[in-house]
Amino acid sequence: MNAGGGCLCGAIAYRVTGPLRPVVACHCTQCRKTSGHHVAATSAPRDTVEIAGAVTWYRSSDSARRGFCGICGSNLFWDGPGTHLSIFAGTLDGDPGVRLAGHIFCADKGAYYEIEGDLPKAPGNDAVLTTQVME
Amino acid sequence: MVTASCLCGDIRIEISAPLGAVTACHCTQCRKITGHHSAAVPVAWQALTVTGDITWFESSEAARRGFCGRCGSYLIWEEYDGLAYLSAGAIDGDTGMRMDGHIFYADKGDYYHVGEMLPCFAAGRSGPEVAP
Repeated sequence: MNAGGGCLCGAIAYRVTGPLRPVVACHCTQCRKTSGHHVAATSAPRDTVEIAGAVTWYRSSDSARRGFCGICGSNLFWDGPGTHLSIFAGTLDGDPGVRLAGHIFCADKGAYYEIEGDLPKAPGNDAVLTTQVME
Repeated sequence: MVTASCLCGDIRIEISAPLGAVTACHCTQCRKITGHHSAAVPVAWQALTVTGDITWFESSEAARRGFCGRCGSYLIWEEYDGLAYLSAGAIDGDTGMRMDGHIFYADKGDYYHVGEMLPCFAAGRSGPEVAP
């Protein structure tokens, strides 16, 4: 895999050499607050993600932090437990081939929208969705 | 009183006007800022009382985007016409507002489709619709 992306203003760019996980949408309250709607994230092994530029990190819980650009506000990363760094899919440049595979924390979604389609919809976390690896 | 707030609580917005429909925007700027796509509801600035300091980014010559500099929550898009387009995810609780369409769908990411329940416009609402 050779994918990349960055923020809106260009202050932060990243390259990914490792495999990208299929995209998972998260509808939890934290993701809804930070994104302004809900997030959609791929992920990759941390040591395969090279980040250029200064990420502003916010510790959003005891076990995770969220990374954004302090200049333009673009939401870029969720960094939680495990070997992978979550990368918000809207910040990817071009089409690296990943596709949405399902939804998590659907019980916490906003009342103003429906989650459409036939993809799996987990009420909370779904370890099958969040830890799967694309071959 | 309907309120909106960022994740860390540094910014709180009181809203004294009724909320209309939510529009999802799939333009490249909204995709970069939110990390997926935006969903926003327009409210007159004069109906808003903001507590806390919003960080602004001039995203074009005609518009700017506001977020919380501490937690990164994306809050507002505006084009200086008296309206603030509030991020729907920032609004607390169920206010009864509902999403009714998708704009700039021609610029959406390759990794998703939104389904077929709501109209999808290639660019603005005055232009042609496209298949979801």
